[in-house]
Amino acid sequence: MLSRVADSLYWMSRYMERADGILRMLKINYASSQDDIQEFSWKPVLRIFTYLDEDGASKISHNTRAVLQYMVTDRENSNSVLNIITRARENARSVQDHITKELWQCLNEFYHTIRDEKMNRDLQKDDPVSILDVLIKQGLLYFGTMDVTMARGEGYAFINIGKFLERGVQSADILDVRFSDRHYDFSQTDITYWKYLLLSISGYELYLKTYRSGFDARNVVEQTVLNDDFPRSILYSVGRLHIYFERLKSERNQEAFRKIDFMIGRIRSKVRYSTVESIMAQGLHTYLNGIKDDLYEVGNALNQNYFAYT
Amino acid sequence: MQTTELLNSYSVDPGTWDEMYSESERTGGSLSEGRTLDFVRGQYRGVVDFLQQMSIEELNKKEELAKRLFMSQGITFTVYSSGEGIEKIFPFDIIPRIITAAEWKYIEEGIRQRLKALNLFLKDVYSNQFILKDGIVPVEMVYSCPHYLREMHGFHVPHDLYVHIAGIDLIRDNDGTFYILEDNLRTPSGVSYMLENREITKRIFPDLLPGNNVRSVTEYPNILHRNLVSLSPRQTANPTVVVLTPGIYNSAYFEHTTLARLMGVELVEGRDLVIDNHRVFMKTTAGLQQVDVIYRRVDDEFLDPLVFNPDSMLGVAGIMSAYRKGNVAIVNAIGNGVADDKAIYTYVPEMIRYYLNEEPILKNVPTYQLGHADQREHVFANMQKMVIKKTNESGGYGMLMGHSASDEEISRYKMEILRDPRQYIAQPIINLSSAPCYMNGRMKPRRVDLRPYALCGPDGIQIVPGGLTRVALREGSLVVNSSQGGGSKDTWVLAG
Repeated sequence: MLSRVADSLYWMSRYMERADGILRMLKINYASSQDDIQEFSWKPVLRIFTYLDEDGASKISHNTRAVLQYMVTDRENSNSVLNIITRARENARSVQDHITKELWQCLNEFYHTIRDEKMNRDLQKDDPVSILDVLIKQGLLYFGTMDVTMARGEGYAFINIGKFLERGVQSADILDVRFSDRHYDFSQTDITYWKYLLLSISGYELYLKTYRSGFDARNVVEQTVLNDDFPRSILYSVGRLHIYFERLKSERNQEAFRKIDFMIGRIRSKVRYSTVESIMAQGLHTYLNGIKDDLYEVGNALNQNYFAYT
Repeated sequence: MQTTELLNSYSVDPGTWDEMYSESERTGGSLSEGRTLDFVRGQYRGVVDFLQQMSIEELNKKEELAKRLFMSQGITFTVYSSGEGIEKIFPFDIIPRIITAAEWKYIEEGIRQRLKALNLFLKDVYSNQFILKDGIVPVEMVYSCPHYLREMHGFHVPHDLYVHIAGIDLIRDNDGTFYILEDNLRTPSGVSYMLENREITKRIFPDLLPGNNVRSVTEYPNILHRNLVSLSPRQTANPTVVVLTPGIYNSAYFEHTTLARLMGVELVEGRDLVIDNHRVFMKTTAGLQQVDVIYRRVDDEFLDPLVFNPDSMLGVAGIMSAYRKGNVAIVNAIGNGVADDKAIYTYVPEMIRYYLNEEPILKNVPTYQLGHADQREHVFANMQKMVIKKTNESGGYGMLMGHSASDEEISRYKMEILRDPRQYIAQPIINLSSAPCYMNGRMKPRRVDLRPYALCGPDGIQIVPGGLTRVALREGSLVVNSSQGGGSKDTWVLAG
């Protein structure tokens, strides 16, 4: 496979995963903003997912419509869902002969949906949940089409490598920023707060089934980092990343393969053999940052060894 | 029966050949329904019957569906304005253009003959130059052509094939005679529209195609792929064939990716390729992989910055040397522009007589060389009846239509012509034939041309029964180029 093609597939996939994460998170935070006794602040969200500085974030952090507009359809915000989808589509467009026609059409329709002026108008006055649902479904259509139509070859491996690398980083980010918002105070027992954090990564129901004794910050950390059955956990993401990377093993390029395989394997072990206690002992922030840096390094190594073409 | 009104309002421009109506003097409304139908040519009967069973609302819905299909499939080109890309579709008219079996047989034979001669001309002009020595084509015509490349001289291309893919433009005059308008032998585009337009017709008019005995065009990519594989310089079971594109910002990008997909080959950009020891390689995730055949959609002058335009970012440095060493096949051959130059065009009938000893089947449009003083004078005296074209431009650029130009434009053009007469030719304005188009609930005649696609391989020339019909959508306009507001139609060739 052409290096440029692998690169584009990888980024198409990372952007789609990112868009999905942002949309879900927006939907739940919107619900949370309607449920909050005190005035709800969008600051943590703006901090994870935008490049706004402190002042810029403060300006809109209490204006739900402004935040939604900024994060979904704003053309100036380079991390708006619209711009992320545009980039995913540009990548897909340059590799149309490597993804199925169905997948291309699905992404192309997503792009036309979100660029429709009506979307922007509706976001200002209609029910935001309905609009976010339309977009989330478009994304699900993409993931489903991928699963049903794409051949399980090298391209599929690069797509999944991008997807799970992005997901690992995103879960670490969400957890870190949420706790930093609470100054890493683990005695915090505000039920609503944890409920919405879990909801935003689709982990609420699993939490209820796993932990019967109510909400405890430690359990939230455990599920989000260490639960291998939870598809948004860091352990699960890194595990998948490893499985898909191993599919790239071939006679050629052995040296690069071994190097990156070692890197991912080390992260995987590091997470697997952590416990909530060991994480706390290190400090959650340090631990999560360590994981993120390791994942970024994998991204760089892929870039150097598999995607270099210019 | 609302669509009967649709037909009744159809009035053909006087003195014009209409593809659907046989009676051009008739004007709308005056005849009964039965009489109106009498004038519909046999090949259009099926479609007219079909349309008559539909209401205007249904037809509008069909048109809407066609637009949506183009959009959602990304069959679009991007117009960049105010820093952001806007997706546009090429206008598509839902009523097909229909060609009878007899017409097609004639076209096919004519194109085959013409391509045979043009290919021999290219071989000759880049080797022995008999045709120049015998004075059939003036030497200065060849050497003054910017597309004549000395780099190609004395180099044998595989199977002596220069033209692998040709898109020859045909038009029809008042009496229905076909004329060759242009030979496109470099990187003719539009074939993806031949294929996609057909797919759209299948979607918007279910069951219409099978009932009308329409020949299929789907074989095109398979024939092309087979021809490309057969050109591989390496004798391997699975040669690497690639399509070379200038990239996603090229307006024909959709076509490049469609062809790569339909042939199952890699779509590459210049930056994906590298030359090592006069061989071409592509950069893959598993290291370098040798490339054997390149179907390039990049123009000659951008292909190799070491030989041609040094500023080109689209090409591959050193590819020309790999080509000349015979380590890679490039399709179409480099330097073909000398054969489809608009001034050389005049000599194609002579080439056919010279190389094949045959009379040309398809006619040339009479063409005046503005380098000749006599011919120039004649043209200058009759500017209103002439179209002036630049010899090395295409896509409808650098054209002057004498009948619609102002005096000022004409005199400015005359000045320009006198500065460098070799750059220009003149042709009498041909009154292109018209075909019915569906426009805002009415059927209107609009002018059309026809571009069939011919594929030449070591085993001969194959022409897929179909092509691209371009339409001048503006009323009365004779310019069909997409860059000048043209659209397209699905093109049917009927089986005997």
